[in-house]
Order: sequence, then C-alpha cells, then structure tokens
Amino acid sequence: MSGRFDDSVAPGEIVLEHASRAFSVRADRGRSLKELLIGRRRAGGPPPVEALKDVSLRIEPGETVGMVGRNGAGKSSTLRVLSGIVPLNSGRVACGGQIVAQLELGAGFGRDFSGRENIFLNGALHGLVKEQIEARIEAIVEFSELGDFIDAPVATYSSGMFLRLGFAIAAHLDADVLLIDEVLAVGDEAFQRKCEARIAEQIAAGATLVLVSHDAALIERTCQRVVVLDGGRKIFDGPVGEGMHFYHRLMGTPEEEAASPPMPSEPPGERV
Amino acid sequence: MAYRYLFEQMVRRELRQKYKGSALGVLWYLVNPLVLMGAYYLMFGIIFKVAGPDQPEQYPLFLLIGLVVWIFFSQSLLSSAPSLLEHGALVRKARFPREAIPASVVTVQLVTFVVLLALLAPVTIAIRGSLDPALLVLPLVLACLFAFVLGLALAVSVLHAYFRDVAPILSAALLPWFFMSPIFFEPESITQRETARFVLEWVNPVAPFIGSVRDVVYGGAVPQAADLAYILVAATIALLGGIALFRRMQGELAVVV
Repeated sequence: MSGRFDDSVAPGEIVLEHASRAFSVRADRGRSLKELLIGRRRAGGPPPVEALKDVSLRIEPGETVGMVGRNGAGKSSTLRVLSGIVPLNSGRVACGGQIVAQLELGAGFGRDFSGRENIFLNGALHGLVKEQIEARIEAIVEFSELGDFIDAPVATYSSGMFLRLGFAIAAHLDADVLLIDEVLAVGDEAFQRKCEARIAEQIAAGATLVLVSHDAALIERTCQRVVVLDGGRKIFDGPVGEGMHFYHRLMGTPEEEAASPPMPSEPPGERV
Repeated sequence: MAYRYLFEQMVRRELRQKYKGSALGVLWYLVNPLVLMGAYYLMFGIIFKVAGPDQPEQYPLFLLIGLVVWIFFSQSLLSSAPSLLEHGALVRKARFPREAIPASVVTVQLVTFVVLLALLAPVTIAIRGSLDPALLVLPLVLACLFAFVLGLALAVSVLHAYFRDVAPILSAALLPWFFMSPIFFEPESITQRETARFVLEWVNPVAPFIGSVRDVVYGGAVPQAADLAYILVAATIALLGGIALFRRMQGELAVVV
C-alpha cells in the first residue's frame, strides 16, 4: 500500500520504490479548528517542500551506503522515512529487522532521570525488554565512559557526556540497519575513533549502514557505496570513489546540476 | 508484546517526571484531588446542602465517590490531550507505538484513582457498617471505566496534535459538564421531569459510570442491568473508536508535533 511502512523484507534489507514526500512549511504546525471547519488551510505562505521526489533505492543486507548532498537535498528526510518515523506520500518503503536510527543522540532522554534510567527507557523504545537491557548495561556504561555519573541526572551532564551516552546506547542495540545522521562528531577525537570502530564492528557483524555526513573522509573510510541526493532526487548511486568524485564536482560547480534532468532508474555506478 | 516493557517504562517515567525533585514526590498526585475533595465537601456538604440522598450524615461519602470518578475522568483527558506534544522529542525521533504515551498518562491517573478509592473504603466501612459482597462487581465496573477513559484519551491526544483547539475546548467543556454530572446530586432528587432526568442520567456518558461505582461502593448493591449494559457498550465504543481514530491519524504525528 502506498506510503505504508513495510517491515516484511529480510533483516538489513532496505527498499525505496518511487518514494515521494513533501512537507508543508509553516511556523505553526498544527491546524486550527477554524481551518478544519472551513475545510481548507489558509492560503499564502510558501508552497510545500518536496523533500523526496520519486526516489528508488535498493540496499542489500550488509551494504554500507553513504548519503551525501547539499543542505536540504533530502538526506535527513530519507533517513526519517527509512526509520518509519515519517510516512511517504506515495511510493513504497521497506526496511527489515531491528532498525536503529541515530537521528539525534539522546533525543528521548528524560533530563530529570539518571543515565542508567535513560538506558532502560531508550532500550524499551527499541522494543527491548528488561532482561535484554540488563544484559548489556555494563557494556553501555563502559562504552560511554561516564563512570559514576551514570547514576546522576542527565540534566547535570555536559553536552559531550549526553551525546556519548546517546551513542553508547544506540551502539548496543543489535541493529540490523543502522541509520546515522551526522552524529559522529561526538566527544573528543579518541571517542570519535571509538565510535567509528564500534560501527565497523557492527558492520562486520552483518549490519547495514546508511550514513549521512558532510565529512567526505568519514564516508570514504566507512562506506563502499555512495548515493548523492539533490533537490529531493537521487542523482548518483555507485561505488564510493566515483561517488565522492561526483559529489565534489557537484559542490564545486552548482550550475551543472540544473542542466541535467534526472531519470527515474539507472544502473549502479552511472550518472543519471 | 515486546513493547509491554516500554509501556511499563513510560508509566514509570510519567509517574515520576512531574514531581521529581519535590519533597512530597508522587504524593502530590494525591494532594490535588484531596484538596479538591475537601473544597467540594465544604461547599456542597456543609455550606449548601444540595438535594442529596436520604441520610445527610452519609452525604460526604456520596459526594466523594462521585468526585473521585470525575477527577479520574477529567484529569485523564486534560493531561492526555497535550501529551503527544509534550513528548514531541520522542515522537519526532523514534519509532515506537505512540499509543504508549496517552496510555501511560491514563494509567498514572488510574493509579491515583484507585488509591483515592482505597482511601475511601475505610470511610465506607466506618459509616455504612460493612463491606458488601457487591464490591466483587467493582473490578468489572472499573475496567469499563478505564477502557472508556482510555479510548477518549487516545482520541483527544491525537486530535489535539493536529488541531490545537482541542485541549482548550476540552477544558472549557469540562466545567459545565462537571455541574451537569450527578456528582453532588442525584438526578431524581433535583427534577421530576422525565426528559430532564433522562438527559442527566443517560445522555451524559459519564453519569452511568458514576452511578455504577456509587451503587457498588456507597449503595452496597450491584448496579442495575441497564447501567451495566450501558457502561459495557460505552466502554467498547469509546475504546474501539479511540484506537481506530488514533491508528488512522497517527501517520503524520512526527511531522505535526
């Protein structure tokens, strides 16, 4: 069914078929009852932004895909669609197995609760039960390097500690699909290396990775395949070397992209 | 049922979040209803003696039982209406059954309600003499009440996420609704007109719930079959309707909250 999230594919497999999604741009996101009764929304204001336009993408279990593009290209929207948080307007999205989306580290933390309490809540949000969380809590605490602070309220944490805990939890959820949005700039360099190593471990264990980042070196280190988005469309899909080359050219010469109308389907590795 | 543990965690968080760091902690959940009960008791039990039941010395109990049911109903709706917006950070960034949010709010109110009811039980024994076997029907009545309120809470929370007028309308409507509900009066003692009594007793869906809880706890009697049928049907319609509406509307929640 159009727009419905489908999790019946193999664990780690990702499918987007002719996926489109638009967002209305308004300051107040709710509708007032007056508008409901009149039956239409206030006229004026900017038209809806088409974040994804007819994007098709198939990612096999275990693939590592970097997603690049300028700001507003639709990268974060793609991740939100893949994680099942935002539905499509049309097309099909399927993503199998345990999906761990790191869109914003520590997004669901209760600030008045301790780090330990937040680990349980966050694990529960991913469908884990108490025993499963207890089994990995030591590893999470150790990874976060929070020490005794783990029993202090999260409100007392520095932003680095906050992010470290967020990453540590997400990194221990046995993901089949890892969706990571520009969150690896966590903590100091040593911790960043540790995060990368942890992601590499999860990939080695068979997880699929979709990584959104503006850090070209990071993409080249972590991903075998690159998808370039622009204006909500997929304009490149192929091996990382070629893809980053394409991306750098795109960013260097922005007028070029207007001249090439994108086509709906393409063999991997070719400019479309 | 992997998400049962999530629900447990959400309830725990809901329960402790609001008054965390305060000296009384979760006891604050009881303070407000108790103060309210005291105030209404003072007003309608002592100052104005409204048409109550036959024995005036038992009027406080009559009043308080109606009041705890109403407090559960109104507080559940008032606090679930903005609940999805209050948990916006979670709704926008994580995928989980969003029903857990309003359901946890109602569950916390249910805990408060049951504690208040348990506080009233000793008073019942003291004034009414004995615990009646009719109390065995109470779990069924409370289950219906919970399902009824949960269904409405699901509807109200998802509606408010899309239409921000819902919570203000609700809080405006609850005040006249309170005075029209048989909390400090019995419909038959304030009017002889059939239509007026019918409206007070049956058109207001909260009335049969108040009546049934009161029949059991205060009257020591099993509610009439018509009342039991009414609350069963009302609970079923509200719960199924609330779930259906929530499922239908929840798709865009991450975008609108």
